[in-house]
This record gives sequence, structure tokens and C-alpha cells, in this order.
Amino acid sequence: MGSSDKKKREKKKDFNKAKLKVGKAKAKAANFTDTSFKSKSIVVNQHTLAALDGVDLVGLFKQHLNQAINSKSDKLRQEALVQLTKDLSSKPIFNPVGVPNLLTKLLPLITDSVANVRTNFLKLLRALPPSDVAPHVEKILMYIRGGMTHLSTDIRSDTLSVLDWLIEVCPDETVSCPGGWLKTLNSFSSMLGWNPSVASTLSVKGWTSATKTSLNKVSKKNGEAQAKQITILAKFLEAGFRPETPLPYDEQRYWDSIYRMPTIPNPFAYLNLWGAQRDEDGEMYPDRISRQQVFERKWRAAIKTGVMGAKQEGGVIGRAASVLDKVLRTAAAEEEGAKKFVEEQEQDRVEEVEVVEA
Amino acid sequence: MPKRKVAALEKVDADLVSLQYKIRRDPKSYAQEFYDQWLAYDAQRQIFISSPSSASSEDNKKFHDLVDLIAHCADLYPDVTAPYYDQLKDLLTQHHAVLNPDLREKVVGSLSLLRRKDVIDSTSLLTTLFPILISTPSKSLRSLLYTKIISDLRESNSKATNHKLNRTIQTVLHNLVTSDRTSTKGMWACRITRELWRRQIWTDARPCDVMKEACLSDNEKVVVGGVRFFLGGDKEREEMEDDSSDEEIDVKKVKHQGTINKKTKKRQRVMEKAMEKIKKQERKKHAPHPLNFSALHLIHDPQGFAEQLFQKHLQNTKCKFSLDNKLLVLQLVTRLVGLHKLTIISLYPWFTKYLSPKQPSVTSFLASLAQATHNHVPPDAVEPLVIKIANEFVSEASAAEVASAGINSIREVALRQPLCMSETLLQDLVMYQKSKDKGVVMAAKGLQSLYREVYPELLQKKFRGKEATMGLKSGEVKRLKFGEEQVESGIEGIELLEKYKEEQRLKKLAEKGEDADGDAKMEDEDEDGFNSDEWEVASNDSDSSTGWINVEHSDDEDEGPAAKKQRRDSSVAPDLISDEAMAAAAEANRISKLAMTTILTPADLAKLAELRREAQLEKMTGNVSKRRQELINKHIEDGVTADDIELPAQIGKKSTKEERVAMAKDGKPAREEHKSTQAIRKSKKEAEGKSSTNKEKARKKNFLMTVGKAKAKHKRSLVDTKKRLTAHIARSKSGGRRRNGM
Repeated sequence: MGSSDKKKREKKKDFNKAKLKVGKAKAKAANFTDTSFKSKSIVVNQHTLAALDGVDLVGLFKQHLNQAINSKSDKLRQEALVQLTKDLSSKPIFNPVGVPNLLTKLLPLITDSVANVRTNFLKLLRALPPSDVAPHVEKILMYIRGGMTHLSTDIRSDTLSVLDWLIEVCPDETVSCPGGWLKTLNSFSSMLGWNPSVASTLSVKGWTSATKTSLNKVSKKNGEAQAKQITILAKFLEAGFRPETPLPYDEQRYWDSIYRMPTIPNPFAYLNLWGAQRDEDGEMYPDRISRQQVFERKWRAAIKTGVMGAKQEGGVIGRAASVLDKVLRTAAAEEEGAKKFVEEQEQDRVEEVEVVEA
Repeated sequence: MPKRKVAALEKVDADLVSLQYKIRRDPKSYAQEFYDQWLAYDAQRQIFISSPSSASSEDNKKFHDLVDLIAHCADLYPDVTAPYYDQLKDLLTQHHAVLNPDLREKVVGSLSLLRRKDVIDSTSLLTTLFPILISTPSKSLRSLLYTKIISDLRESNSKATNHKLNRTIQTVLHNLVTSDRTSTKGMWACRITRELWRRQIWTDARPCDVMKEACLSDNEKVVVGGVRFFLGGDKEREEMEDDSSDEEIDVKKVKHQGTINKKTKKRQRVMEKAMEKIKKQERKKHAPHPLNFSALHLIHDPQGFAEQLFQKHLQNTKCKFSLDNKLLVLQLVTRLVGLHKLTIISLYPWFTKYLSPKQPSVTSFLASLAQATHNHVPPDAVEPLVIKIANEFVSEASAAEVASAGINSIREVALRQPLCMSETLLQDLVMYQKSKDKGVVMAAKGLQSLYREVYPELLQKKFRGKEATMGLKSGEVKRLKFGEEQVESGIEGIELLEKYKEEQRLKKLAEKGEDADGDAKMEDEDEDGFNSDEWEVASNDSDSSTGWINVEHSDDEDEGPAAKKQRRDSSVAPDLISDEAMAAAAEANRISKLAMTTILTPADLAKLAELRREAQLEKMTGNVSKRRQELINKHIEDGVTADDIELPAQIGKKSTKEERVAMAKDGKPAREEHKSTQAIRKSKKEAEGKSSTNKEKARKKNFLMTVGKAKAKHKRSLVDTKKRLTAHIARSKSGGRRRNGM
């Protein structure tokens, strides 16, 4: 029975009074907790050990650039973006790496998971000079299209803001770059649920329509999001259907275009000499007429039905839809006008020919 | 206000995995979501293609996930995902060098997933992967592609042989080997062919043709790959077959566990799986053995092939292969020569240069020479070689190993072409049995016993032995001239089978005793010693029992009396044995009858082979050594290895202590420390994660934990005890506390 006796003694020991001795500290209780430390987490004050004397501005810029993409902490990313924006909006503009590099590095941030980072990124974009953005519209649009059909609704909506900015800054390039017209329209329709090609995959024959998908459910928040989508679609279409104003004749420019080296990058992009072969969606639609034609053929019916539905819903969505409707109508009217103009010209020529023959 | 319902995708933001799960469960409702992701994938793909080498890790990751999602759902939306395969293919073929490894692996995995979902066919998958396998510099990608290709070929051949696909791939491999003979790319053809041959997926002549071309390549590696295939491919195949049938499941144990363990779904599943496996094994056991020819037999035009190999890699002085590889090629050439009895006269003079004891790995050369010899080789071609071996290797001055190897190789050559020996040389060699070294003695004796059988005239009279001398006198032992073939009239050993059947029948008769002469019909059925149910065509003399329709024609008239006579013979069997004179004439008659009157079943043929082997063993008087037995069992087509030549030198050598210890340890469980066997077993059990038995647990239980109960048991009243006992019985009947039986 030795072991049980021993255990009994041990149990009793807890209830015996401890004797205090002079000159010795009181024994610590068994459940004593050390609370002398101050903080639970370790805070690192600086992320780099290099001396930041404000001398190496270029290095600092690059460091911010790296932080904006690579840092795990969203705070840091956000702060780095703020710093970059500050540099870019200073006068004169301080940008040691150049806009192309900057964009290549930062564009994945469009679909960043943190909302603040995305808003700051948009601010940074707004700080960029429009003329520098123009050559990179195609690339930006690719990222925008990726973000427009993202799973998260917030990212979708923020991406739309980027698209909004892009249309504002360089409307012509946006609608005329390769894939810029049809593919973007495709993303829009998919976003709004107005896509006829999805319905065909559903191969359900019958009079019931498919249930409205979960992402387009009409709640207050979603309604606002959809209104925003429709508004930006309207802007996009407006940019696409904007009548081209012929440049006034300038002799210098005329000769330059023939004999001088072109000043814009990739001036023969429409020939697609080196890229992969493009399909109909990825094709360039450089002028209004081609854009309008392909729109008539592929999208007008689908978007019109979508607009009708949206109008009936009323509210914010309805208002946005009516704006869109107006854009469509003016486009159609211009088309008519253009047709009539062409016909008249044709007729004039025929008449002239007749006169000559006579 | 009621709680707002949370929509499907709002709960988890941006979770592609859960989206995939939902799409696969209800593809119709999630078509829109899928289409969104398809667009996202498309955009991401374009981002990637616009700058494949400098894609950021973020982009790579996104693209990786989207590719994964689309691949898993591709079969649900065939219209939308129609271009998916082509896109992946282009991506892989154009950018496999710069793709991020993870992404690359995902793309390859997605392609094979598409194949598994039957979105694409095997041919398109393999034609996509194969060119990359050959061209990519990345080792990890190569191994990935290799496994994918092999597994896809296995899959598509699993139910039935997919001839069309096999032919396509074999043509591709053939072209790969033949198009550029100097490149190492042919290695991949070798590897793939060999693997599929090993798994018995390809068993016909076409893969052999591919390997044949590989052997004739200019690249050393490819040549070695091809040669190794022919030398070892079949053995590998057999080993693989043995391995696969290794895992035995104890049926009894599984069933027993099913009765005692608690019944859970998991256990049931495990049991079902085990039963399925057992059934599969049973089926495999009873399946007819596949008729697989050895690769060496499937070669088209072996003469041309062997000649080309010899000229290209051995005779050619410009060929700079290493000695080991040359030896491999030599082995293949000589193997072909021996197996197909080819004639390459220039091969034998070529050997002269290499037959000296100083030549590295000379035993392999000696073995190859023996392999290359057969009875159609002119003795003039081999004789100088034999003389050279005798001069170089066999002398009193040379080391014992060298001499024994020399004599042994001469014996191997002479076994195949006995005419290669002159009388003086043989007599000289046979005298070596007086040597001091046991190995040399054994080799010399082996040579002597060989010549006693095949050509005793060459031996001195005192070495001929009793049987050979008697045989010479009676004219039984006759030597064959060059080119003469020993032709068997009829089936070799048929008389043995006949005798065996007779014995069997007599035994049966003796068992039955008086029954024997009573029922003629019974006797008739059992006449051939085998149950006729085994193979219903076995006996054709039984007229009514098998239900075969008797068709009358001229043969039948002969057969009727023959059968009757046989029956009469059997009834007076003792007579037949006693009457010697009659036997000689009758036997020839009867033997031919057996082959003519009955159709031999597979069982008969197997027995025949066994009897033939036994007879051959019996012919060798006295106790037959193990090695002798092996020699007899060994087919002459099996080829000779260097070990065969070296072996006699090992005889009589004392092994060192280390060797003996290793021999003793072989096959026993390893023990690091000195422990009892029980302790070792126990620790092994523990290491396997197995629990102890209930008994063991009870024994180990702390005494103090049990003492209270024991005390209480003593104090129980009788009624209480009874109650407990009845409860115990009832409980055990109903399956214990867990109610296992319910």
C-alpha cells in the first residue's frame, strides 16, 4: 500500500500552513503567473536595417514598390501605396522606374483582398499622367476583365471604378485596343447576368426561366452595385459610339505620317504582325462603324432585353438603365443618320455618273 | 424583421474550392458563376501570355487556381469549355520552359484530368505530352510527364487492349528512334517501351521492333537501353507478375474480424474491399495463362539483326563503346545466334583477340562464345578457338581459377558442338582430373562425362566408363556427323506416357479387386487414367457416355477393333509383362496407336514432359548432384552467363567466417541487441501500431485498481452472484456491451 500512503501525504501537504522564514522570499504559489512582460506580440519598428537618411530616394521608391506587392501585412501595402502616390503626384513627378514597370508590378493589386489597398491603388492610378497610361490600356484592361468576374462582389465593384477611371482617361484606346470592345462587353453582360451564351449552355427547354443567380439578387447593397455596373456600361458604350471628329487638315502632320518615324508605340498594332492569332472576341475594333456593327450583331438584343428588365425594377437601377437606354438610342439614331448619309452620297455619285453618261 | 437569408456565395468570399463543389453538385444553377470564372480564367490567361516569363507570383497563383477549377468542371459545360484543351496545349507546348513549376504541374494534371473525364481522347493527350517529354530540360517535368504517359497508357489498355492507340504510340516511338540515330532522345522510347513490356501491356512484335531499332542506334545510351531490354526484359516481366500476386489476404482472418469487431461503416467498407480483392485474385488464378512470347522470339529477321549489330558495334573499329557495353551487345548477338541457330562466320575469328586470361572480364567473353555455338556451326570455325583457350588458360602453370574456367568454357562449347575437339587435346584436358585443385578436377570430370555421352571414341579406353563402352559395343552410342540432326519419329517419350497410364490403370484395377472384371463399362470410362470430364475430347473410344455423335467413315472400322484389342490387352496385363518377345513387336504397334487413337490433353502433355525429365535423370546412374539436376532442367536456349564459367573454381574453396555468418543470418529477423524472441516480437507488434490483447491488458492492470472489485466480489450475496452471472450470459448472447450481434 506504499504508493497510496504516499499519495495521501502529498494531498495533505497542500493544506499545511507554510512556514515563513526571515531573510527568505515567500514561496511562490503553484498557480503563480508571471505578468511582468508588457506586450503579447513583438513589434518591429523598422522593416529594413538600411539607414533611411532621405538620401537614396530612388531606393526608397523601389522599396515602397516592393512593399506594395510583396508585403504580407495589408497595412504596409496600403502605406507603401500612399507613399508611391505622394511621389507620383509631386511636382515634378518623381518616378524613377517609369510607368510601364510600375504598372506591370502593381496591376495585380486590382484584385487585392483588402478593400483599403484597392482604394489606395485607384488613387495611385489617378495620379498617373494620362498620356503615359495610353500605351498600356490593353494590359490594364486584361486585369480589369479578370477583376470584373471575380468571385467577390466588393472586388468586382472596385474593379469597375478602375474601369471608370480608364474610360475617363483614355476612352478611345479603351474601346479600340485588341479585345477591348467585345471581351469587355462579354464581361459586363456576365456580370449583369444578361448573357445569352450562358442560357444556351443550360439546355433547359421549357417556359420557366432560370432562377436569378445568387450574385444578382436584389438587395439594397446589390441594387446599388448593379446600378453602378449599368452606369459604367453606359459610359463604356458611349465611349465606343462616340462619333469620331475628323482632324482638321494639317499639312505638316500629313507629311509626318508618311515620312517620319511614328511617335506612338506599336503603330501597326492593327496588323497584328507578331502576336498570336486573334479570334472574333479578341480582335481590334479601331473605328466606330466596326464597333457598332459587331455590337448590333452580337449584343444589342441581349442588352436591350436586359435594359428592359432593369427599367421595370425602377429605383436606382431603373434610373441607371434609362441612361443606358438613352445611349443605345442615340447610337442607333446616329447609325441611321450615317446610313442615310452614305446612301445620299451613293445616290449623288449615281446621279453624277448618269449626268456624265448623258 | 426576419433574418435576411444569406445567398450562396456571400458566405465565403472568393473561395474557388467551395464554388467548385457547388458547381459539381448542381451544374445548372451555377452556370452563371462558372461562366464568370471562365471569363476570369480567360483574362488571366491573356495576362499570362502577354508576358509569360515575367508573370508575378500573384498572377501565377490566381491562374493556377482558375485552371484547376475549369479542369474539374470542364465536363459539365462542354460548350463553354470547348477551347480549353487547345489553350492548355498551346500554353504547355509554347511556354513549358518558362512556366512556374507549380503552374506547369497543374496544367499537366489538368490535361490528364480532362482525359479521365473523357473530354479528350488518349491520343490527343499523349501527342501533347510526348513532344514535351523529349524536349524539356526540366527533370521534374520529365518525370511527371513520364508517369502521366505510362499511367494513361495503362488506363486505356486496362479493360481491353486499345490497339489503335498502341499502334499510334508505337509508331511515334519507332519514328523517334529512327529519325535521329545520334541523339539521346531514343532513350525515352526505350524507357516507355520497356515499362509497358514489363507491365504486359505491350506483348506483340511491334515494341520489339522499336527496341530493335534502338539497338541499331548510334548513341551508346540508346543502344544499351535496347540491348538490356532484350537481355532482361522478359525476366523483369516475370518478376513483376510474381510480385503482383504476392499480397495474400487471409480470408478466414477477415471473416473472423467481421464477426468480433464492432460493426461500423468503415469496417464494412474495408471488408468489402478485401473480399473484392480476393475475388479478383481468384479470377486471376483461374484465368488462362497469357501466351507471352519472349522478346527474342518476336524479332523479325534475326539473322539480319544479329549481323547488323555485330558489324556496327563490335566489328567496327571506329565504335568507341565502353567494354561493359560492348559485352552487353556481344551477349545479345551471341544469344540470338544460339537461340535462332544463326550463322555468322566472322563472329568466331573475332573472338580470338579476346581469349586471353589478361583480358578484363574474360569469363563473359567465354560465356558468350559458348552461347554462340550450336550444332550448325562448322567445327573448323570453333576448333581454333578451343585450342586457343586450352593453350592460354589450361596449363599446370596457370592459376587454378583460370584453368578451371578454361576447361569449363571448353565443356560448354563442346556441349553444343562436340565435333570441335581433337583427340589429343581432349585426352590432355581429361588428364587434368589428376590435378590438386578441386575446381579443376570437377571441370575436367565434367568434360569427360560429356564426351562419354556424345563422342566416347575420342576418350582413352580407360576413361570411357562402363556404359559408354557397352554402348559402343552394341552400337547404341552413335556419334552424329556435322549437319546431322537427331530426328524423333513420333512424339518423344510417348512410350513413357503409355507405360504410366498402364500402371495407373492397373493400380485402379487392383483397388477395385473383384469389381474390375464385373463392370466393363466402368473400366471403359476410367481407361485413360484421367477423368474424362477434365477434357471431354480426351477419349474417343467411349461411344455413348460423352454424347458425341458417331459419324461412320473408314477410320472407324480400324478404330473399333483397336479399342477392343486394347481392352483385351488390359485384362491380361500380367501376361504382357512376362512375354518379352511379344512386347518388342507389340510395343511399337501400341505406341503409335496411342498417339493416333487418342488426343492428348494438356494434362497429358504436362505429364509427358515430367516423365521425360525423370527418365533423363534416371539415366544418369548413381546419385545425381544438385548441379547436375539444374543442368538438365536448364533449357539449352537459356544462354550461358559468366557465372556458369566461373562457378567450378569456387568448388572446394573454404568460405571465410564473415561469409558463413552472413549465410546464417540470411532470412532471419534482424536483432540489434540480445533480447528474447518474445520481446522482439512484442516490440515489432508495438512498432506496427497494434494493440495488446485483452488478456495482456488484464495481466498488466494495476493491482490497486482490481483489488477493490475483488474484495467486493467476496462480500456479495448468493442472489447477487446469480444475478450477475445470468446478466453476463445474457449479455454475451446479445453481443456484448456494444451489442455487436445486433
